[in-house]
Amino acid sequence: MPASQVIERICLEKRHIMKKTLIKMGALFLAGGVALAAQAATPEEDRTAFTNHYKFRFPDVPMEEYPNGAYAIDRIGRENWEAIEEFPPYEPFIDEGQEMWETPFANGKTYKDCFSDGPGIKSQYPRWDKKQGMVITMALAINQCREANGEKALKYKKGPIVPLMSYMAFESRGQITNVVIPEDDPRAMAAYESGKKFYFTRRGQLNFSCATCHVQNTGLKVRTEVLSPSLGHTTHWPVYRSKWGTAGTLHRRFTGCNRNIRAKPMKAQGEQYRNLEYFLTYLSNGLTLNGPGARK
Amino acid sequence: MRTKRLLSVLLLAVTFVAGTGVTLAADAKAENPKAVKAQMEIDKADKARKKAASVESEWTTTGKLIKKAQAALKKGDYDTATRLAKQAGEQGEIAYEQGASQKELRMPSYLKY
Repeated sequence: MPASQVIERICLEKRHIMKKTLIKMGALFLAGGVALAAQAATPEEDRTAFTNHYKFRFPDVPMEEYPNGAYAIDRIGRENWEAIEEFPPYEPFIDEGQEMWETPFANGKTYKDCFSDGPGIKSQYPRWDKKQGMVITMALAINQCREANGEKALKYKKGPIVPLMSYMAFESRGQITNVVIPEDDPRAMAAYESGKKFYFTRRGQLNFSCATCHVQNTGLKVRTEVLSPSLGHTTHWPVYRSKWGTAGTLHRRFTGCNRNIRAKPMKAQGEQYRNLEYFLTYLSNGLTLNGPGARK
Repeated sequence: MRTKRLLSVLLLAVTFVAGTGVTLAADAKAENPKAVKAQMEIDKADKARKKAASVESEWTTTGKLIKKAQAALKKGDYDTATRLAKQAGEQGEIAYEQGASQKELRMPSYLKY
């Protein structure tokens, strides 16, 4: 092949590569943000970054409003929500939960024997359990209490655990979220980082991460629903959701969210979702607990 | 004696005919290349689905497509079964790449530190 043709071919290939690169960069830009390599940010730096992001996005929303979720930023939705809160649909669940709390197990003991500070103990969870080497959530602690007293574990998404947790959440109202990641056990930080990674990992056929909706596009709408900021996500559970026609747990919501983006959900109260709850609750440190809640 | 012999012959004949029928049917099914291809695609798709699941990246749509493909195969609609299974297989591969490409945490640029 003559030299001139070789040179022409090399130039054509270079242009082709350049065109492909530009297309890829354009696609990345359109996808919304070029990903940067993970920085070694501390949990407090993460929380600050999130807080600053939302403060910039919603300059008129005070921090104490974030536990109200989308209703902190959706004025019209808030009017409906305030009307619902006059006769809250979660009230019967609180009453049922109180009865459960006070009813002894078959062996004569009660939940109070497991949770001496209870029932208002929601601010103690989730927490890192050094002995068990994992994040313990309130739901998991409830079932560990039950099994230790010869009772069957309750299901984690719906059913009797919901009223019990609703009562405990109600009794915990006004407490301040305060997740502490112990420095003397690196596994705790690993669990936090695992939850953080889950939060930022794209999944499902729609290729969304939690951050896609709740950081990048918070305040915008998916169909008719305003996307809530992640600050305050964990303060108000369990929640009576009009869509469910009943109250349900945070992990039930996790599975629903994953299904919405066509990702096969993880197991409720499995390691992935417990670590995600750990990460999310840390982000809400300083915010007031206000469960149970009512949502669309 | 004669009746006994007649009955034995009849029994032998029935067994022979039934056996031939079963063999013919089995041969027909086994030799149907479209059915074989459809089953191969379904198996391949399920393998891809499990591969995606191994990196916690399985899509809900993949399993549904595989079930539809299996239903189509059972009905004898081999072309549909193959098409759906191929689609499921592609989804499984893409889902695996999606999960595998995010082994390391990469923070989005819209969150400022």
